[in-house]
Amino acid sequence: MASEITIDPVTRIEGHARIRISLDDAGQVGDAQFQVTQFRGFEKICQGRPLAEMPSLMARICGICPVSHLIASAKACDRILAVRPPKVGADLRALMNLAQVVQSNALSLFHLASPDLLFGFDADPATRSIVGVAKLHPQLAMDGIYLRKFGQHTIELLGGKRIHPAWIVPGGVESPLTAEKRDEIRAMIPEAYAAADRALAWYKNNLLNWAEEAETFGSFQSAFMALVDADGNVAHYDGRLRVVDHDGTLLADFDAYDYADYIGEYTDEASFLKPTYFKPLGIENGLYRVGTLARAIVAERFGTPRADAELDEFRSRFGRYPSSSFHYHQTRLLDILYGIERMEMFLNDPEILATRVASHAEVNRNVGIGVAEAPRGTLIHHYVVDDDGIIQTANLIIATGHNAAAMNASVLQVARHFVKGERIEEGMLNRVEAVIRCYDPCLSCSTHAMGQMPLHISLVAPNGDVLDEVRR
Amino acid sequence: MSRPTFATIWLDGCSGCHMSFLDMDERLLEITERADLVYSPLVDAKVYPEGVDLVLVEGAVSTDEDLERIRMVRSRTKTLVALGDCAVTTNVPGMRNVFADARPLFQRAYVDNVTVNLGMPSKGLPHHLPKTLPVHKVVPVDVFLPGCPPSADLIFDTVMALLEGRAPEAASHARFGN
Amino acid sequence: MTVHTLRIDGVECAGSADQTVLDVARENGIEIPTLCHLDGLCDIGACRLCVVEVQGSNKLLPACTTQVADEMDVTTASPRLQEYRRTIIEMLFVERNHVCAVCVANNHCELQARAEEVGLTHLDLANVNPKLDVDASHERFAIDHNRCIMCTRCVRVCDEVEGAHTWDVMGRGIDARVVTDLGMPWGESPTCTSCGKCVQVCPTGALFEKGRPVASTKAGRPFLPYLKSREEGGRR
Repeated sequence: MASEITIDPVTRIEGHARIRISLDDAGQVGDAQFQVTQFRGFEKICQGRPLAEMPSLMARICGICPVSHLIASAKACDRILAVRPPKVGADLRALMNLAQVVQSNALSLFHLASPDLLFGFDADPATRSIVGVAKLHPQLAMDGIYLRKFGQHTIELLGGKRIHPAWIVPGGVESPLTAEKRDEIRAMIPEAYAAADRALAWYKNNLLNWAEEAETFGSFQSAFMALVDADGNVAHYDGRLRVVDHDGTLLADFDAYDYADYIGEYTDEASFLKPTYFKPLGIENGLYRVGTLARAIVAERFGTPRADAELDEFRSRFGRYPSSSFHYHQTRLLDILYGIERMEMFLNDPEILATRVASHAEVNRNVGIGVAEAPRGTLIHHYVVDDDGIIQTANLIIATGHNAAAMNASVLQVARHFVKGERIEEGMLNRVEAVIRCYDPCLSCSTHAMGQMPLHISLVAPNGDVLDEVRR
Repeated sequence: MSRPTFATIWLDGCSGCHMSFLDMDERLLEITERADLVYSPLVDAKVYPEGVDLVLVEGAVSTDEDLERIRMVRSRTKTLVALGDCAVTTNVPGMRNVFADARPLFQRAYVDNVTVNLGMPSKGLPHHLPKTLPVHKVVPVDVFLPGCPPSADLIFDTVMALLEGRAPEAASHARFGN
Repeated sequence: MTVHTLRIDGVECAGSADQTVLDVARENGIEIPTLCHLDGLCDIGACRLCVVEVQGSNKLLPACTTQVADEMDVTTASPRLQEYRRTIIEMLFVERNHVCAVCVANNHCELQARAEEVGLTHLDLANVNPKLDVDASHERFAIDHNRCIMCTRCVRVCDEVEGAHTWDVMGRGIDARVVTDLGMPWGESPTCTSCGKCVQVCPTGALFEKGRPVASTKAGRPFLPYLKSREEGGRR
């Protein structure tokens, strides 16, 4: 007989989410649905607002990656003003973006995912938290806190606030970097490298523990999308969008301005999140992934020595085009290492202290599109303004939207592999949550990111009888 | 003498206040030395327990599920702190309150602004209240911490004061929007 | 000019007949919060934030429009007055849509500063949430009516100092709005000289320079008293 399992709440993105798994008559998993249960209507409330205020308004979409929104928004504004920021303005934006990449990826891996990886997916829920990690693996916890602090403090030194700094503006940034602040950031770099190195060593040494998960956590063929620079290397701040197929075949390479030719959005009756699809392949076949794994697959290299050395090792182990979403974790660490290296390069450039940090103009175009790589994937802001610079319409495609279809497929895959018959196994619940965690959905530090979320799963027969019930 | 217990939850927010909470960096461990974090994004918990001493609430009340959740939390907690502008004044989520209800938002997001509409989101999802509300319009609030987000120092000082049974002086110097 | 002696918060003060209670209080280091008052513009008592208690009167009087009189006994900071001031600021917040976090004047706003000073931490009164627009038709400046508190400093500076009288008030009560000329878009105004004085005197983020991002308005130069003294000194 058919029945349904509801995992509620699963809170991984803006607000809260649920997972519904339906079983067919034979007790096998038929379908799975990841439901996002928060919606604030940013695409509506920004109508009528002045262009220059958009970056800081859009930053409030997310408190973990506000810098990504500030950048994509400011870049869309740049196009409307028809200006290019001065090189130092672009570099400073990129520097803040990288600081965010480091802190956000650190949060995801250390504060959220590490307890599963440290204690095992079946371990006692009571220990699975940063508090538990701090007790039993203090070095790892402190490394995670340090990397997060390194990124956040850099953001604070650049922009005045750790969260929602109003410093990234149309045309560039608000103020230059002083030598003093530059030195303060640079002083933190050696320890940041040490923390990243320790974490990578720990992760690689423990890979064998997670072999089964690595095989089944969102392990399917899909296309991937990421921003790349002119050399085809990883880029977070600017570049062209590139889409490759599961075997590396180039599917598309385009400027942000043409995104609508390649990316479409559709509605999901059971979720507030709008999934996207790769238009040339249609909704059915147009699933693709973004984020740290996508960047490692789509790009040729990172372009920095340490991250590239790690990337080579990763590829020699898992192939040039690994398909399992489990590898988001390792590529997240590579992203952190790359971030530190690129930040160091910017800070060592004396020109980073230059004082002309913004270009100025009035509204010169009515449409602007800005794209950036947020820690968890590609982010697009698309604005239409009237001649006075008042927002008429805005379209936002956030990283988790690109990954929505993949997350649904992953939840289904994990459920099918681990859910058998009528009994709900504890480990299944953990793993279903854990596969979502691989994607680091926007707002991963929501409820119950560490260790275990309170889940209530009930197996209900069509006549309403509760066949089995598990509460965590 | 048992240790005090504290919790954090969030409703309709951006999680920036929780990030600011984490921005106290190592001092987080100072707090967890002093009190048990029994329910939060950060620790494992099955259900929001009874008799929690202190809760930090981020985010405005926008849906029927937010409403239910905050009432449940209030009934099981001694001291409730409204954390951040969304919880205190509705801030950005409250910008939708110029409309009579959430329908214009849905029209824009799911009809006007999609390539393909396969149906409106409605199945098994929370329902939006006509207006987004600040927390104190729904349940009594003991301490207000405005800010977007309030700084880590402010959060740390306030939590420590409350856990130690002192008046949270720092909270009275907070400012909307800062 | 006749000199009056009066008492403010127990402090003996002296002021000339043409001075207000606010003038004399400030001369004696006694701070009374204000919003619609601005040195260099005539006072109109719009915001009522500066109301004080005067012995012998059962009404609260605005310090900015009340001229000093002999033997006046003024209290500027009783618990009742503090509560009323908090209520006034709360009413200003709920009347329109003030979202400090994403406002061009964040951290440079007199309404925000007054709220912090009176210890306003939340709003109990019911929100009005009117649907108001931004008029960005002018080449250099814009007005966001959501952030306007109807202090009318813009009206007064445009009339008294620039002399253009582009700004005025249309409508009554809660529906009152500041308008340019006969209520046309600012960019179409034939009288506006684009001098920017209204933008400089606006206490909130209502009037602003186009292209200014959030939290970027800087405090204006105190040019009004200088202009006023030049005017009073006579033109040669």
